Amino acid sequence: MSFSLAPLRKISRVLPFIYAAIVIVAVWQLVVTVTKPEPSVLPAPGAVAIAFEHLLRNGELATDAAYSLARVVVAWLLSAIIAIPLGLLMGSSQRLERLVNPFVELFRPISPLAWIPMAILWFGIGESGKIFVVFIGTFFPILLSTVAGVKEVDPVLLHAGRVFGCTSRTSLFRRVVVPAAMPSVVVGLRVAFGTGWAAIIAAELVAAHTGLGYLIANGMDVLRADLVLVGMIAIGVLGFLFDAVFRYAQQRYSRHG
Amino acid sequence: MSVVNAGKRLCIEGLTKTYATRSGESVAALGPISVDVRPSEFLVIVGPTGCGKSTLLQILAGFLSPTEGRALVGDEPIIGPSIDRSMVFQSYALFPWLSVLENVEFGLQRKDISKSQRREIALRHLKMVGLQDFANKSIDELSGGMKQRVAIARAFAVDPSIMLMDEPFGALDALTRRLLQRELLRIWHEQQRTVVFITHSVEEAIFLADRILVMSSRPGQIKAEWSVTAPRPRDVTSEELRQLERKIYALLDEELMKSFSPGSGIS
Repeated sequence: MSFSLAPLRKISRVLPFIYAAIVIVAVWQLVVTVTKPEPSVLPAPGAVAIAFEHLLRNGELATDAAYSLARVVVAWLLSAIIAIPLGLLMGSSQRLERLVNPFVELFRPISPLAWIPMAILWFGIGESGKIFVVFIGTFFPILLSTVAGVKEVDPVLLHAGRVFGCTSRTSLFRRVVVPAAMPSVVVGLRVAFGTGWAAIIAAELVAAHTGLGYLIANGMDVLRADLVLVGMIAIGVLGFLFDAVFRYAQQRYSRHG
Repeated sequence: MSVVNAGKRLCIEGLTKTYATRSGESVAALGPISVDVRPSEFLVIVGPTGCGKSTLLQILAGFLSPTEGRALVGDEPIIGPSIDRSMVFQSYALFPWLSVLENVEFGLQRKDISKSQRREIALRHLKMVGLQDFANKSIDELSGGMKQRVAIARAFAVDPSIMLMDEPFGALDALTRRLLQRELLRIWHEQQRTVVFITHSVEEAIFLADRILVMSSRPGQIKAEWSVTAPRPRDVTSEELRQLERKIYALLDEELMKSFSPGSGIS
């Protein structure tokens, strides 16, 4: 029975988004028809679709998206490599947490965007500056989520681990704490990817010659609002798709352990 | 292969537990309590909520150290958790990231047990609780009753001499509970382990126990004890057992009234 229902369920999950897209385009078209703005201020959906197709066909959109994505992935992985082990240790050692937490609390409120000027001063407008900015944006969500994951491990699981053979702190950590905290780590990775995606666009707006952020900034410079909107749509759609992939992975993880 | 362990004697000598409150007062939670549990005896402890019976089990498990007194398994004092004192928890405490089989194998990951032996032992114990066909399922796919069977299989698989059970059937519906009580008795009969079982169900105590201890309200002490000699499986609706039930309830009511009466210090 579940087999015959599966495709239906999939469609019903996508349906709300199709509906939202239709409403957005309709309202947009309505505004353009009624107020007749300059195309350099607000082009019609049709004009943006033409620009979209053009950029898709000459490969510029794909190249820019690939640049942005590559930067996010590198920075996000770098964050994960540092933040996950650090978070696991901070969650299980009060002393380490007390030592590190003040720094986290002081740096966390500083938006990654506020780091962009320093990143340019330190690294110029090469790749490392942008990766640095995204690193700042992705590091804290992963770290905090990992710490919370460790702290929220059900104490009864720790008891069970100790009864069933975890005689040392390290074996309890390895066999119970780490796997029990994993779902929360995955949530952190997902959230971080979202903030990283937002941060890279901002960094590229200011200092880049490639990437979706650059596409937007450049569109503004040459007064081509259609290019700006193409960039914005690409950012939105890709961000949505990445999040969907994570949600899918998360579900699989929680189901099959 | 796995050595067939018999149950060991569990000796509790003058145990007390006192907690310090935030305001610096000390609150006596438990004891003094002394019990001598015979090898392979099925001991059930009933008591009102907050009487310290869970504290007692935590001490026996080795998670807490007593304020005074000591507990011995055979002639070895309990100083920390040990795989020789296995445990079944009310909330199952299964590891959700592991499969059913891997949960049962968890306690068998020792150097002296090979991987194939481990698998064989785990499968044998899953079969014992009737879940051999669920070995590769994930924990989330199981009902509460099935989860607790997995936990029972995990607890027996490590070949313990003492089995500590902390209200293991408290979260189950009445019918599943009856079923698991019967299964537990069968397994206990086959394996002959010493069981310390905590419950607040008088009927459950009467159905299962060789001996029932009734605890007083805080600080928990032994208020009364009965040996139940009626042959198993027991009909708890028989006049003899009904009478016992009434006596135990009378004692428990008395204890509960104490904790609700003004001036008892507990509100």
